[in-house]
Amino acid sequence: MTNTARIGVFLCKCGEKIEPWVDLNLLKNIITKDTKAVHCEIMPFSCLKPGVENIIRAITEKGINRIIIAGCESRLMLKKMETMLQPQQIHKDQIIIINLRGHVAAVSEQSPEFKAKKAGKLIKAALADMDVLTPSNRTLAEIEGPVMIVGGGIASFTAAHELVQKKRDCFLSVEYSDADTIIRNIHKYFPGERHHYKRLSKIIKETVASPHVKFLPAGELTGLAGVTGDYNLKFNEKNQVVEYKTSAIIACMDADLAPPLPGFGYNGKTVMYQPEMEELIWQEGHPEGQIVFWVNDFEAGYPKFAKLSIQSAWSMAKYLCEYTKKSRFTILYNQQIPLPLSAAERKISQKLGILWIPYDPSVYPTLQDNYISFCGVHDHVEQEVSWDLVVLSPKREIGTETAKKAQILGLLHQENNFLSGHHARVRPDMVGREETYLAGSARFPCNLHEALTQGKNAATKTNTMMEKAEAKMLYVPRMVCIVDVSRCVGCGQCQELCDCGGIGVMDEGGGLPRMVDPMICMGGGTCAAACPYNALTLQNNTTAQREARVASLAKQLTPDEIMVFACNWGGLPAADNAANKGLKYDPRAYILDVPCVGQIDISVLARAFLEGSSGVILVGCVPEECHHSFGLDHAWSRINFIKKLLTLCGFDRRRIALAHADLNKPEEFIITIESFIREVSSLEAIAKNPLNQGKLVSMYQLAAFNSRIRYLLSASLRRAWEKSYRGDQRHGLNYDQDFADALNEEFLQTRILQLLQTEKRAFNAAELTDSLHEDGEKIGERLYEMAFEGMLTRSIKNQTVHYMAN
Amino acid sequence: MIAFKINDMEVEAQQGWTILETARQYSIDIPTLCYHEAVAPSGACRLCMVELKDGDWSKLVASCIYPVAEGLKVYTETSRVQNVRHWIFEMLLSACPASQEIKTMAKKYGVEATCFPVHHPEEACMVCGLCERICHEVVGLSAISIVDRGVYKKVGSPFLRTSETCVACGCCVTICPTGAMQMIIDRVRTMPSTPLTQLST
Repeated sequence: MTNTARIGVFLCKCGEKIEPWVDLNLLKNIITKDTKAVHCEIMPFSCLKPGVENIIRAITEKGINRIIIAGCESRLMLKKMETMLQPQQIHKDQIIIINLRGHVAAVSEQSPEFKAKKAGKLIKAALADMDVLTPSNRTLAEIEGPVMIVGGGIASFTAAHELVQKKRDCFLSVEYSDADTIIRNIHKYFPGERHHYKRLSKIIKETVASPHVKFLPAGELTGLAGVTGDYNLKFNEKNQVVEYKTSAIIACMDADLAPPLPGFGYNGKTVMYQPEMEELIWQEGHPEGQIVFWVNDFEAGYPKFAKLSIQSAWSMAKYLCEYTKKSRFTILYNQQIPLPLSAAERKISQKLGILWIPYDPSVYPTLQDNYISFCGVHDHVEQEVSWDLVVLSPKREIGTETAKKAQILGLLHQENNFLSGHHARVRPDMVGREETYLAGSARFPCNLHEALTQGKNAATKTNTMMEKAEAKMLYVPRMVCIVDVSRCVGCGQCQELCDCGGIGVMDEGGGLPRMVDPMICMGGGTCAAACPYNALTLQNNTTAQREARVASLAKQLTPDEIMVFACNWGGLPAADNAANKGLKYDPRAYILDVPCVGQIDISVLARAFLEGSSGVILVGCVPEECHHSFGLDHAWSRINFIKKLLTLCGFDRRRIALAHADLNKPEEFIITIESFIREVSSLEAIAKNPLNQGKLVSMYQLAAFNSRIRYLLSASLRRAWEKSYRGDQRHGLNYDQDFADALNEEFLQTRILQLLQTEKRAFNAAELTDSLHEDGEKIGERLYEMAFEGMLTRSIKNQTVHYMAN
Repeated sequence: MIAFKINDMEVEAQQGWTILETARQYSIDIPTLCYHEAVAPSGACRLCMVELKDGDWSKLVASCIYPVAEGLKVYTETSRVQNVRHWIFEMLLSACPASQEIKTMAKKYGVEATCFPVHHPEEACMVCGLCERICHEVVGLSAISIVDRGVYKKVGSPFLRTSETCVACGCCVTICPTGAMQMIIDRVRTMPSTPLTQLST
């Protein structure tokens, strides 16, 4: 695709919502003066069919390949424009929609000329952005080949069964493939599921008989590398490493059931837990006597699973009742557990004579010799039930074997007890694959039916994805990260920061995180902004583009005007909704939309100040509701960094701020913006002199290119597995102080280098001190170290040491 | 090219345009509520009614979904159209008395009171379904839908519980023509469930 930008600007009248309020003819004049725009046109409605046909005509006549529409909300309109302009090879990243109506026309009572000028600034900034854009090619996702089903959970069989029916090859890594053995052992993971055995057995037999299934010899998963469409799994089979190449992975894993804590009188013989009871039935047929199922999940501390346990208890009691008349069954349960019985089941239960006894949770039931005592619900009187066998609820947890597999598959997270899918809170078209295909009770404890359904669903989704890919209809999402392998050093920062799991390893051996799975990446972009070596870029939405936009806007702003970065999920909807509600606010705010505040690189922020902006505010989502998990936290750290630099430069650190907005509270958004504008306009403007300019250039260079500082900063960002804020960390202050020291050092160093490089002559220490207005002692110290590290060359002139940049 | 007349003015349209689109292209005002450019039109609110005349015979159609045809004679401000508009506004005022947007719009067209009974003074939603359509067509989800039937129709999430499907993008709030979605969204969106994936290290 050609990179020569031919940008068309379309100004929308939007009926009477823009035209009388904004002087569009003046705006058109302003834009046509900018040489970047090859076409500029005013139209009554750019979004209606007549308007779109007009745009298409302009595209074909003038060869336009980038489009800027000044109209209404991009959040609503972009999708329509994207679909309509698809045949013209214009993709969504080649369209910028500026909300002229909401962010300019409706904001204030200013004159139409003033508003035209404001709109002009915003559009010119967008022109600069589009000019730098290098659109990527539209690539098809290639997902062909067999599917690997790993983990060994029971859901493997339904997943394989589903794939086999679609005539898809799959590898199945399970311990046993014989239906009888599996059924004999299934109760270890799912007790009380006898009513499913027939169906399960049928599924297993059908799967095993299919020619499309290939069973892996029993082996241990040791490694995973690659991305969707090209996975490489390593198994250790009889001390030999065997590699399998697959196109997709379905992970099926089950949670382990363990005996409850000894506090409940568990002894494994008369007081047992549910899987043991099942084992007893297998071995000895039908136990006799008074059998009490005590559903003790609440007491054991996992109330969430009480529903599962009570269902298993009911199912086991029902099964036993139907075969033996000699035993009597009691189900003792906490009053807070809702009864899992339907009306028909209540009838059956009555007929079978199963006794359901709820107890008052305020008194802890106690197991005594031959009796369990508990507190009655209605009368609060202590009551007793006699027992010969007590069956307790199991403890559900991820076993070490499962945890090991999950770790390799990238599904384990440290602060949660179970595995789960991704934290997706973005539009489905932003991510190529809906979720990690994970099934089974390791995901979250569930019953057999649920586990089997999950397996089936995972296979259906995989199959749909592969069918789409085969039909050449599955495209890689456009806004995903790409790695410049020549720059990547494999530091792994991105992998730790990434919340979507999109960063994969190229080769399992070295473990270098050097590739992005475009089907999983959600384009959050905080990883790209955090890369110390600028090796990661968010394609079609690069830092270079944003820098160009910010630079262009900052150059045009007056000292009392501010730049607002509004995130697509918090700030931007709040601003859009403010306009829809007819709220007015200070027109000196220039709103730029970003998909997430977390993808704003420090170089972008530094560039804004370098080009003359007097205040920058980032408005994100509500804390802990960030759609890309930690965008707001990361933006906080980055702003903190810029604040430190501003202080070092001798400017006021209040010039940059982080804020949040709820989409449904536009009034608060306005308060945020106005208070920041008040704050900034109370400050004295940054004087434009060579000294200040030198400082700002150093600030930008430090932010954009200094790997040491960038590394330190990304190390300080909140990790995906950290639940708490950084501020809660014990050594938060220490860390910050160390960081500030490093920053002091590097900043001075950058300033010295920058001065020496621009002047291109040798300086002595005294001259440097004078021109930089810094402490002589500090400069001397820095010069010594810099010369030692080989950045400067020393020479002696007029009996003093002179330094020159290498 | 299709030539026809709106309010006796010669207009030209392309195959596939609707009357409303053509009228807007020629800056002829037709009020709408349930129409938004971002989604397919549905013709639910009937506010965009126009009159088609052919000699003595005439009929009222919803201009947002009526395709243009050669030789149509469209009138947007006849007494019949105004009458319909008037009654629709009165009904809307009785159905969604809490909506400031509808009040402002009705006032613009000269309707300030309703003769119909007001049952729910807090109601602002007119169940036009724009929120549902944008969620489905633009966002690509189905977090909200029209639940219940007949006079009990309302906007809500499945089972009227907060929805895990909702990504809280706020498109429905922005598109809502009556301002009702501001109340509804807080019953739909949820806090994200935060279990996050940590990769193998």
